[in-house]
Amino acid sequence: MTRRRKWAAIPGLALIAVTATVLSAYSGAQAGGAGQVAPAPQATAAPAAPRDTVALRQARDTMAASGPWAYSAASTPQGRAPQQPIDFPHPQHVQSLQMNCLYCHSTANKSPDPGMPAVNTCMGCHTIIGAGLPEIQKLQKYYADSTPIPWVRVHKVPDYVQFPHMAHVNADVQCQTCHGDVQKMPRVFQYSSLNMGWCVNCHVENKVRYDCSTCHY
Amino acid sequence: MSTETGSDGVKRRDFLKVLGVTGAAGAMVGCSSERVEKLIPYLVNPDHTVAGVSNYYATTCRECAAACGVIAEVRDGRAIKLEGNPEHPLSRGALCAKGQSALQGLYNPDRYRGPMVRENGVLVATTWDKALELLGQKLGEVRSAGTAGRAAFVNQAESGSFPALLDQWLAAHGMPQHVAYDADANLGTLEANRQAYGTPWPALDFGAARLIVSIGADFLDDWGAVVPNQLAWAEARGKLEDAPRFVYIGARRSLTGLNADEWIAARPGSELAIARALQGAGVTIAEAAEAAGVPAAQLQALATELNATRPSLVVAGTRGPDATDVALAAAAINQAAGNVGVTVKPAEAVASYDRVASYSDIRALSTRMAAGEVPIVFVRGANPVFTTPPALGFAAAMEKVPFKVSFSSFPDETAELCDLILPDSHALESWGDAQPLRGTLALQQPSMEPVFNTRPTADVLFSVARANQATAGGFPQPSYRDWLIARNGGPRAFAELLASGVASGTVLEGTAPARAAAVESPAAAQQGDGDFHLFVYPSPLLGTGAGGNKPWLQELADPVTKISWQSWVEIHPNAATRLGIRNGDHLTVTTPAGRITAPAFVYLGIQPDTVAVALGRGHTAYGRYAKGIGVNPLSLLGSVEDARSGALALSGSRASVTRTGDHSQVVTTEGSARQHGRGIAQAITASELRTIPVPVQRVTSADATPAEGVLPPGEGDGHDIPGMPNTAFLPGLRSPVAADAQGEYAYPNSAATGMYDPEHWSGMAKRRWAMTVDLARCTGCSACVVACYAENNIPTVGAPWQGRATSPGVWDETPGANIIKGREMTWLRLERYFEGGEDGSSDFETRFVPMLCQHCGNAPCEPVCPVYATYHSPDGLNVQVYNRCVGTRYCSNNCPYKVRYFNWFGYGEPDRRQYAFPEPLNWQLNPDVTVRGKGVMEKCTFCVQRVREAEHRARAEGRDVRPDEFTTACAQGCPSRAITFGDAADASWSVAQLAVDRRAYHVFEELNTFTAVVYLKKVNHPSPATPAQA
Repeated sequence: MTRRRKWAAIPGLALIAVTATVLSAYSGAQAGGAGQVAPAPQATAAPAAPRDTVALRQARDTMAASGPWAYSAASTPQGRAPQQPIDFPHPQHVQSLQMNCLYCHSTANKSPDPGMPAVNTCMGCHTIIGAGLPEIQKLQKYYADSTPIPWVRVHKVPDYVQFPHMAHVNADVQCQTCHGDVQKMPRVFQYSSLNMGWCVNCHVENKVRYDCSTCHY
Repeated sequence: MSTETGSDGVKRRDFLKVLGVTGAAGAMVGCSSERVEKLIPYLVNPDHTVAGVSNYYATTCRECAAACGVIAEVRDGRAIKLEGNPEHPLSRGALCAKGQSALQGLYNPDRYRGPMVRENGVLVATTWDKALELLGQKLGEVRSAGTAGRAAFVNQAESGSFPALLDQWLAAHGMPQHVAYDADANLGTLEANRQAYGTPWPALDFGAARLIVSIGADFLDDWGAVVPNQLAWAEARGKLEDAPRFVYIGARRSLTGLNADEWIAARPGSELAIARALQGAGVTIAEAAEAAGVPAAQLQALATELNATRPSLVVAGTRGPDATDVALAAAAINQAAGNVGVTVKPAEAVASYDRVASYSDIRALSTRMAAGEVPIVFVRGANPVFTTPPALGFAAAMEKVPFKVSFSSFPDETAELCDLILPDSHALESWGDAQPLRGTLALQQPSMEPVFNTRPTADVLFSVARANQATAGGFPQPSYRDWLIARNGGPRAFAELLASGVASGTVLEGTAPARAAAVESPAAAQQGDGDFHLFVYPSPLLGTGAGGNKPWLQELADPVTKISWQSWVEIHPNAATRLGIRNGDHLTVTTPAGRITAPAFVYLGIQPDTVAVALGRGHTAYGRYAKGIGVNPLSLLGSVEDARSGALALSGSRASVTRTGDHSQVVTTEGSARQHGRGIAQAITASELRTIPVPVQRVTSADATPAEGVLPPGEGDGHDIPGMPNTAFLPGLRSPVAADAQGEYAYPNSAATGMYDPEHWSGMAKRRWAMTVDLARCTGCSACVVACYAENNIPTVGAPWQGRATSPGVWDETPGANIIKGREMTWLRLERYFEGGEDGSSDFETRFVPMLCQHCGNAPCEPVCPVYATYHSPDGLNVQVYNRCVGTRYCSNNCPYKVRYFNWFGYGEPDRRQYAFPEPLNWQLNPDVTVRGKGVMEKCTFCVQRVREAEHRARAEGRDVRPDEFTTACAQGCPSRAITFGDAADASWSVAQLAVDRRAYHVFEELNTFTAVVYLKKVNHPSPATPAQA
């Protein structure tokens, strides 16, 4: 290998490594959104961009606690806002109608699992209210077909993490602390990084135990 | 590498660029945890159910006839764990290994998916409507042909209303009463009890006796209802220096025999002479000793002791052709000694065996079938083809029956021969009742929806009867559940009854049919003339074969021999030396009836002229875990009966033993049967124990420090100088390192003890989780091991497809191949050590030690982990963090207790060949415990998920965890109540008191590991006639 080529190769490799890291970090921050959110206002915008793209992006920009560099978001899909089978508007239910989170996620204070509302919980109101709206009609079709709604999971910790919701809710941790202002989110996105450093910081700040076996067993 | 530009056009630099971009893309994809996962809600939320929180249903275990009470833990619609029901009068919260593994019957991957019918010689799936229509049609044909009276129904022996109801159904269809078959039942004892005490199974009070003599009655293995036996036995031995002495007489030291203080190694067939000699009825001690091949002095000493000791308890449960006579002689001794009403209580009878049929009934049925007399046969919950000797020819006889119906849920040997399969729902999926004790009603309720398209047989009976005008009258209710509700006082009363599962009450009583007369055994002709006596016995885990399809029971090492996944031939060391046999040499055992070949296991606890083989393996069907594993020694037996009870004689014939020349390693979990002076299992004699005063409790609530009974580090714990072994450190188990892992001792110049400081703001170090194991109570039954498997998602690793690749594409398919390499995954294992008997004498002692992670305060595994995947939690747990572990195995190498287990293969990964939980076995997995992947170390966690669950519950209720509020899975199920778990730093927990017991010791204390598991020494009761041996 000639001297010239050697000197060309080392910064080349270094550059590739840096690029990879930056791309990875950026994609982590943008993951999920990238496929559905039009990257730039071009004439040939991506098809089927949700109608509230701008609001969604704004909400995310203002509410996300961290940029790509905080807690190495590279490894989590922080900010991901997947398309749901029904375009469920949290702001309408929580802000306008003042519904409590626990009305639908009724086991968050008594189970490790926060609970997704059963389809007939939705139907309790929507048999009558908003029956003509297209999204409500999707709901009614699921109910009529006896099919549960296949919601796409937004927040997930790995299988080797035990996260008991009730312990956090009963310790007066607000839902918004981890999930963000869901009441303002037209479409729910992953607000926090859900990385271990993020968990431990909160445990230390709040003076609760934080050794490994608190969550890993 | 000639020029910069390659001749083929691709430049090196271009290649690197492509590689770099691909790598970056790989990094982007690889690091993203974005995998589309769905959250599926309920359509309608079920009542009383919170997603992610368990419901508990009281029901009845149906794994044997005893009918113990269980509580099924159900999470999100799936039963995930069985525990004993503390309110049940028979089992009192305990559950045996068989009961624990009922879940693997429920989720067995080889269960019939739905009804099957034989078409062109092959069983094909059908619908319930078609299957029931076919059954109705066949019943009609039999009836119109006038042959219904010759039909036969073989049902498992069970207590409850179902047998009587079944008889009503059979009568409505003009068929005779059913045969209640239990291949495991000890018929000789049952018959003798009926004659002597007037009840098939009187309650036995081991605790009231001063001396217990068992003549082949393996009450800790399979003799009667094992769980209540074991509870009573452990209570008796829990009296320590006042406990009864126990003498075992038999050809083989079973698990029961190993628990005895003295063993009289009698030849098979000599038990009657011994019993009569002890009874003083026509046989002298010298004659009996001669027949048994034991020293007359030993027998004389026992006779003298028996005469001098009141009250005593003599039980007999041999399985030879004279079993009833032996049991009658034992009953006569009890009656003469005034034990009836004191240690034998006929008034408190166990009701489960009231109408068990005998082997002679099955033999008579076989004869009738072979003669072509039987037009239709039904089999439910029994497998007579496998559990009768091939010499009987049951399978061939069955072929002569025109229409054969099986209600089996599993493709067993009998079901495989049938024409119509109507798979019964599992007991955990169906309704029922049972009568464990007379006057006690126990209910059985479904804990979940059926896993497969099965139906409870009772409901099938109802639908068949109601489909026909002629029989509908006797069955007014639409289902068995409605029948039970109507019988038990209507819906409201029934619902109240269900809450506890047991109440006083009765079940529908039926009358037992007249038994077929037993035939006098042709004796000598069938016995053969081999050099050895043959001793065949039911496995304490697999029974006569019913447990074979459950991987937990196949994997669980036999409590006596510590062998799993294979059959073996037990032979005495002296005989083995004489014949040049070593462990693992393949032996062929030959009798006039047949021959088997299995590896030898040289066992000290067998009479020198005897070879023994366990039943339970050797299936030719019954699913992937049973088929082709081991051999069935029934093929060695002729169809010889005990003439009085009609029981199949399992011993009494002779066999010759030859070596085949082959050799294979025994599939054993045992390293050495000897302690080599290591003091792992310690014992003390009762007389020595009497000299040790009961110590004053050093930690009491009265002198508790402000931190609720926690002694400050360095004060009162005897550990002022780290590194010095000290026997006075038991109270509170506050080892220097546990109290100070990051504090002064670790950093001599630092005053901060970090989160290990009991005063630390996190409160993490307030507790010290610990365990005591009472070896005086432990019988080695291994129920704790199965409970641990169930609770902690431990994979079984011995199935034939779980071995390694010996070369690419070539797999080691030896059953137990991983176990041969020492790769079993039992977080909790039962070690069994022999003391004495090095010369092959029968005078040896056995000690059982449940060995689990000792949660050392100064753990050797922790400092060697390069990635901090194992560490000491402030509350005293030695924690293994799976997601940190990179699999160096340094921890395991450095563990003196060898309690860490490595995932050599992806036992927890569904796409791997070695996956241990094929659908739907994975439905049983505990959602609170991580399923470990390949390359990860794992070990006992002290059921940390239960600790956390209790802490969360207490916090939600705004209180502290209450003393003894919860316990680990092993402690919960233990039928000996030998294991106690809790917070040793708080004197109000039981474990804190037990940890300072005068018998307490730590294993390998000299290593300064400061373990959190405290063993309490076994208490031996040597014969008063011989010098003490401890």
